[in-house]
Amino acid sequence: MPNNFEQVYGEFLRDESRQVGYAESIVFPKTEDEIIASVKEMSRKNIQITTQGARTGLAASAVPFGGHIINLSRMNKVTGARYDRENDRFFLKVQPGVLLTELRKFLLNKSFVTSDWDEESLEALKYMEKNQWFYSTDPTEASASMGGIAACNASGAKSFRYGSARDHITGLRMVLADGDVLDIKRGQYIAQGRDFSLITESGRVIKGQLPDYDMPSVKKNTSGYYNKPGMDMLDLFIGSDGTLGIISEIEIELNKVQDACWGITIFMPGEDKALDLVRALRKEIRVNNIDIDLYPSAIEFFSNKALEMLRIEQKTNPAFGNIQEIKESYHTAVYIEIEGDSDEEIWAGVEKLGDIINSLGGNEDDTWVANNPTSLEKLHEFRHACPECVNMKIDNIKKFYHNITKLGSDMSVPNDKLKEVMKMYNTDIKENNLEAVIFGHIGDNHLHVNIIPRNMEEFERGKNLFLTWAEKISKMGGAVSAEHGVGKLKVPFLEKMYNEKEINEMRRLKKIFDPAQLLNRGTIFPYVEGEK
Amino acid sequence: MRIIVCIKQVPGTNEVKMDPETNTIIRENVPAIINPFDTYAIEEAVRIKERRGGEVIGITMGIPAAKEMLKEAISLRIDKGVLLTDRKFAGADTLATSYTLSKGIEKIGEFDLIICGKQATDGDTAQVGSSMARTLGIPYATDISKIIDIKEDKIHCLKITDDGYEEIEIKLPALITVVKEINMPRLPSIKTMKIAQKSEIEVLTLNDTDADEKRTGLKGSPTQVRKTFVPVHEVSNEMIEGTTEEKAIKLSEILLKLKGKVK
Repeated sequence: MPNNFEQVYGEFLRDESRQVGYAESIVFPKTEDEIIASVKEMSRKNIQITTQGARTGLAASAVPFGGHIINLSRMNKVTGARYDRENDRFFLKVQPGVLLTELRKFLLNKSFVTSDWDEESLEALKYMEKNQWFYSTDPTEASASMGGIAACNASGAKSFRYGSARDHITGLRMVLADGDVLDIKRGQYIAQGRDFSLITESGRVIKGQLPDYDMPSVKKNTSGYYNKPGMDMLDLFIGSDGTLGIISEIEIELNKVQDACWGITIFMPGEDKALDLVRALRKEIRVNNIDIDLYPSAIEFFSNKALEMLRIEQKTNPAFGNIQEIKESYHTAVYIEIEGDSDEEIWAGVEKLGDIINSLGGNEDDTWVANNPTSLEKLHEFRHACPECVNMKIDNIKKFYHNITKLGSDMSVPNDKLKEVMKMYNTDIKENNLEAVIFGHIGDNHLHVNIIPRNMEEFERGKNLFLTWAEKISKMGGAVSAEHGVGKLKVPFLEKMYNEKEINEMRRLKKIFDPAQLLNRGTIFPYVEGEK
Repeated sequence: MRIIVCIKQVPGTNEVKMDPETNTIIRENVPAIINPFDTYAIEEAVRIKERRGGEVIGITMGIPAAKEMLKEAISLRIDKGVLLTDRKFAGADTLATSYTLSKGIEKIGEFDLIICGKQATDGDTAQVGSSMARTLGIPYATDISKIIDIKEDKIHCLKITDDGYEEIEIKLPALITVVKEINMPRLPSIKTMKIAQKSEIEVLTLNDTDADEKRTGLKGSPTQVRKTFVPVHEVSNEMIEGTTEEKAIKLSEILLKLKGKVK
């Protein structure tokens, strides 16, 4: 490795969290065998390993703090397919470096490179049509890698209907810290109460006991290890932030593309009215006795400040020139996406949605309706513009204060706490005199609060506020990380959610698979040498 | 102000299939959309109406199913749709089309401005707009990128040319064709879609207009299409494997073979 490691490989020392680390060496394996060789070497030398995918994570899981980097971006092949004819289910085997954008392209055009596929896979492919199947996990950042998606149990907007990555992963191959391989399928290993037993490819039996803590009762959660008595052991590894093994292959299940897909951005005259609309869409409240037959796959939110930020940007920045005009009168926005068998079926629901909007004090004319792929793309651009805009602002302020990083929250609460949590965010932001925009997956009460600090002092105040929120949200029965993973950035948040004993239980679990704690050290919980 | 927008239904795909016998576009089983350039014409007409008041009427010549497209145009905030449909209109070239549309417009009555998209994405001829202006005997300008001002009797606008822009003023009534730089079309709202759902489209057949049958449809089309084809873009990839040195040697061999063959 060159002495000027940072100069040559500088980009591999950071990720989208805008944290910057350091390392001594890096490899870019193309095969599982190459991962094994690298892991064995490091294990022998007792050097810690950081695993990387596309480095689009927001919690700094992929940022190394010393040691060796295994970057999986060159393991980017779709390696096979499986079709269950009886139940009409389609599965793909992908390497961890495949990007979500690539996977989507392959599925849209049925353009897989099949030269290395086995007979069964080639046979399965005969039953696939172009644009017939899709992968439902849709994090906003589509250049994310499949390995990263599995490692942090990503979800995205459509998780309101389809659930998170976990719900669509049916198998994993993982290189463990000693270079042994664990191949695990859904349904293959079920814990007996808290006791589990797994067999590696070399025939080694890994026995252990699951930790003794309960997970929050929220739909979206990736805060620490998934843990439940009698669980499918595959679930332990999904969302484990690369701390238990290095993913070398993932089997994912696909969903059928539906014939019609619409997107609607709805502008409400106030935040409270927008929250009522969300509750009406979730069928928690009934407005004016209107029964609505509409089942959105996504329900998203944009705060007043988020709209204000975009309104200013779209006037000054040509990059955002493609967004529809955001009128001054638009206060808060809710975006929904609906899939169905036909446009007529969706329209029947949308007509009633208009009546609900009017009944709640909104105006059905203050909506953008996209009922074809071209206009839907415009609404996606609008949705994506929010985080992009925040990133730009952070990059700008970073020029003056180098230590400032992105301050974006990723916490979720149970359904009945939605109004309470919104009130908490708004009050605390105001009381702390901070600038912040809120957007995200409100359908699952999972909002990204992004604080935009104007100086170092505000950055510190924002960081402290996040800790306070982690504590308050834990008390509400929520999760401190819903889809980004804990990584390194959210380690202090997890300590608000679980007590020391429970965190130690996680550490104990890791050491069953990785006794020397070599893999992604300092991720999920702090590294403590020796026994604890 | 009374503004007429000409709208065409085009296949919503870039893989257009041709009928080898008739040399016409196969439109069956291909989802149809509003010609993208026409959406800018619609938006500009609506913006003028919102500023100055009046009415925007969309007109199209096509099969009965084109009614749905006119309804979609109503959801984009035009006031009314007129469909020219008749078996005798079928097989029209740009001359017969512009003649038929002009006759339909005469039937609609007085107007101040006609706006068309720059061209249709299926035929790409960009002839119908100017040909209509000629038939109707009104002034016209193509490739308008901005309307600077519009008054009772004249329109002041910016035209894109090969060398830059021309600022021009035209007496009304007139016809303009617009380019996509002119605006950003708004999406429909639930309200405008409800209005569109309830709207009625006016249908005109040959007999409803003063059109001369001999000048419409296939009969009125002097254009002879000798051959049509979809251009083939040949793209092939070759992965070069090996060490860096081997790859460099292989690449230079390939490039040498291509010498003189690639322009």
